[in-house]
Amino acid sequence: MTSKDLTLTNVSRRFGTVTALDNFNLHVGVGELVALLGPSGCGKTTALRIIAGLESLDSGKVTVGEKDISKIPAHKRNMGMVFQAYSLFPNLTVEENVAFGLQMRKVSKHLRLKRAHELLELVGLPTHANRFTHQLSGGQQQRVALARALAFSPEILLLDEPLSALDAQVRVNLREEIRRLQISLGTTTVFVTHDQEEAMSISDRVGVMSHGVLEQIDTPDVLYNAPATAFVANFVGVMNRIPADLANGKVNIFGKSLTASKKGSESGKIVALLRPETISVKKSSSQGNARVLTRSFQGASSAIICQTHEGTIVQSLMASLDTGDFHPGTLVDLEVSTNEVMVTND
Amino acid sequence: MKRRIDLPLLITLTILALFVFVPMISAFEYSIRTPVEGGYGLTNYKWAVADEDFLYYILRSGWLSALTVLVTLVILVPTVTWLHLSDSKLRPLIDGLSLLPLVIPVVAFAVGAQISLPEFVQNTVLELPFLYFILALPYAYRALDIGLNSIPLKTITEAARSTGASWSRTIISVIIPVIRGAVMGTIALTFALSLGEYTLTVLLHWDTFPTWVTFVAQENILGAIAISMMSLIIPFILLTGITLLMPDRSAQRRK
Repeated sequence: MTSKDLTLTNVSRRFGTVTALDNFNLHVGVGELVALLGPSGCGKTTALRIIAGLESLDSGKVTVGEKDISKIPAHKRNMGMVFQAYSLFPNLTVEENVAFGLQMRKVSKHLRLKRAHELLELVGLPTHANRFTHQLSGGQQQRVALARALAFSPEILLLDEPLSALDAQVRVNLREEIRRLQISLGTTTVFVTHDQEEAMSISDRVGVMSHGVLEQIDTPDVLYNAPATAFVANFVGVMNRIPADLANGKVNIFGKSLTASKKGSESGKIVALLRPETISVKKSSSQGNARVLTRSFQGASSAIICQTHEGTIVQSLMASLDTGDFHPGTLVDLEVSTNEVMVTND
Repeated sequence: MKRRIDLPLLITLTILALFVFVPMISAFEYSIRTPVEGGYGLTNYKWAVADEDFLYYILRSGWLSALTVLVTLVILVPTVTWLHLSDSKLRPLIDGLSLLPLVIPVVAFAVGAQISLPEFVQNTVLELPFLYFILALPYAYRALDIGLNSIPLKTITEAARSTGASWSRTIISVIIPVIRGAVMGTIALTFALSLGEYTLTVLLHWDTFPTWVTFVAQENILGAIAISMMSLIIPFILLTGITLLMPDRSAQRRK
């Protein structure tokens, strides 16, 4: 079965007085991997569960290809899903777990075991077919869960925080593997996560959600460099928040006059949003405008955390080579390298 | 490493074993006495088996109990599963209600329950499995409840559903095998309780194995005890058989 595109149109879902999704719209193209990113309670998991058919919707519709599947029960939707908690069937062996979807689709035993072995090969567990799930590590269990979700060639693959329960190293390896598999199989995929690094590193597009609506959906580059709202700017990547005054469309930051790019009707006292890499630190011969608090070495680059004399904490990201002298307490001059700055009132 | 003997555990187990086995061994000893010839022998057992009613009543009670097990599983497994999955506010209430068969006097219960059954079973012997089901409810419900509490039911169910299993397939192919121990417990409790049920059966004027044994006891008390011994052993063999037919595969391979 080939992958199809997925569309959510004006989907709303309320739980009592809480609105989990509010006229939510989403389109995921064929073979695309879209991550839904947001703080807990933003509605991303609800959206995924509605796509899977595990949650009902109050209004709106879910379409796969040309077909409206809003009323179709979960087991007839032909979607593979990987859950946060290990969800393997403990009474079945690894190969039987992987073959389960095909068994439900009445595929002969010979064919389904053959397919299960193919998938286990793909996820790097060819020798674990006859083990039971409790004999596997967390990362291995999630690989098996991934193989199970892909074995019946689903139209859509749904990943519900599949890496959250794993160790840091395993997380990074497995997310690369998920991406590699997803590209080679061309499966349309929705990936829910609260970890922005995870979302940004493997997705074609990332949808940032807040309070049941999609704030912005774009490629990771656009989200980072041109956030549509202050929420997205703050949520994606590290962002410095520097209090300043807005006058005649200009903001003065560290002695430099920048053009303000407004998202609303900001005026007067505002907060300027600047990425760490747009701020550079220079050793000052006199008082300077800030003092170094810490320097955090990250390999090729280092983060320098400073405090301005007004008390604002500012983070700068620079090539490590240039930062060796910035010991805690050093008086420095902060400089801005851009000419434009995003401002907000919150 | 040499394993240390856990003394409190040993004492508890010994007391428990005495409590369970002393009456059984005494009954067995009594059942193999031969008062006429003196000494011991299998006379009473031969007498019991020779009675053609023995087979009739043991089979009758056997299939009634098997039917009770079936009714219990068909009604209770989906219901308790649903209660767990829905996070229903009704759950504490139903927990309490399931205990009622223990406190309602059987006399009051018998008539009330009988008239509430579907008409096609009323006043036929088929009403017994439904009534036994209610009597076994406090035990069966708890066994399943504990089983379902011990597994990540919601995730497993959702995984099965999203992988293509309908609700019935999810229950049969996934949930029941995963809570196998609890299901075996439910089967054992329900079967044993139905096989030995006496009060309700007599009140409703049905004849089953236990009522027949009391009838026989008036004539030959040693024979009746021999029959009771057999009725202890038969369910034991049956349950062992069921356990072997429904093997715990993961435990086997773990060895």
